[in-house]
Amino acid sequence: MNMHFANEQEKLLHDIGVMDFVAIEMSLYLDTHPTDRNAMEYFNHYNRMTNQAKKEYSEKFGPLTIALADTSNCSDWTWATLPMPWEGGCA
Amino acid sequence: MWNYERRLEYPVNITTPNAKLAQAIISQYGGPDGEMGASMRYLSQRYACPYREVAAVLTDIGTEELAHLEMVATIVHQLTKNLSMEEIEESGFANYYVDHTIGIWPQAAGGVPFNACEFQSKGDIITDLCEDMAADGAILQKQQKI
Amino acid sequence: MKDYMYKENCDKFPLAMAYVPWQRFNGIYDNLEEAFDAGTVFPELDKPFTGRRCCKK
Repeated sequence: MNMHFANEQEKLLHDIGVMDFVAIEMSLYLDTHPTDRNAMEYFNHYNRMTNQAKKEYSEKFGPLTIALADTSNCSDWTWATLPMPWEGGCA
Repeated sequence: MWNYERRLEYPVNITTPNAKLAQAIISQYGGPDGEMGASMRYLSQRYACPYREVAAVLTDIGTEELAHLEMVATIVHQLTKNLSMEEIEESGFANYYVDHTIGIWPQAAGGVPFNACEFQSKGDIITDLCEDMAADGAILQKQQKI
Repeated sequence: MKDYMYKENCDKFPLAMAYVPWQRFNGIYDNLEEAFDAGTVFPELDKPFTGRRCCKK
């Protein structure tokens, strides 16, 4: 599928969506297969990537979670002022 | 406890309002085979579960169903936010609109408000897991129909 | 599709119980975009929507 994104923010948010989805899927499998090392490797890989990407996204475009909110570099509490996901264009 | 992540699990970008579709999709929010029932079912059943792995599955799936709930609400919101009065009256959406306008309120397509009768939590893990399989089968069938 | 039906020892299973086959890890979709759109990373869980019952007739 040819994905076209308007800007870096859209592309990064999309990538976070895909990688986080893989991590979530693996976590659900691991819940019932807690000794499957192979599955754990997949989880670790995608979990690391998605955490890194979420941190990068939050630094550039505003916090994805309250834990990633850092007010030292911006004047406002952007957690409360940025668009909500249901407004469209927020993945 | 729960944290919130400011994004949808899967993108929703609807540009054309459609009241008739919203009327059907609200059922996926608060109806008998909807995501509110799904999340409340799993999150309620997990306490009586004697096996940690199963409690973990119920917790994680229940949490993900909350993310699905958000997507369904977003769909209904985007389908209805710029409706004209004529569209509302013609589509059969007027009954919901008169009480809630473009607010999101959990009910089935037929108007039955969301209630705990939409799910069961019996305190017996085998019974509860059978309820879960039946419910997800029904959810899948409803989603295929929509 | 791999057959997960356990035809052996069925007579040893208690009656009047529901059973679910155990998922085994056989890898995930190579194309993650496709998996994301399908709603699952596990190919064996990617079941087609037919909009009708399972029987062909």
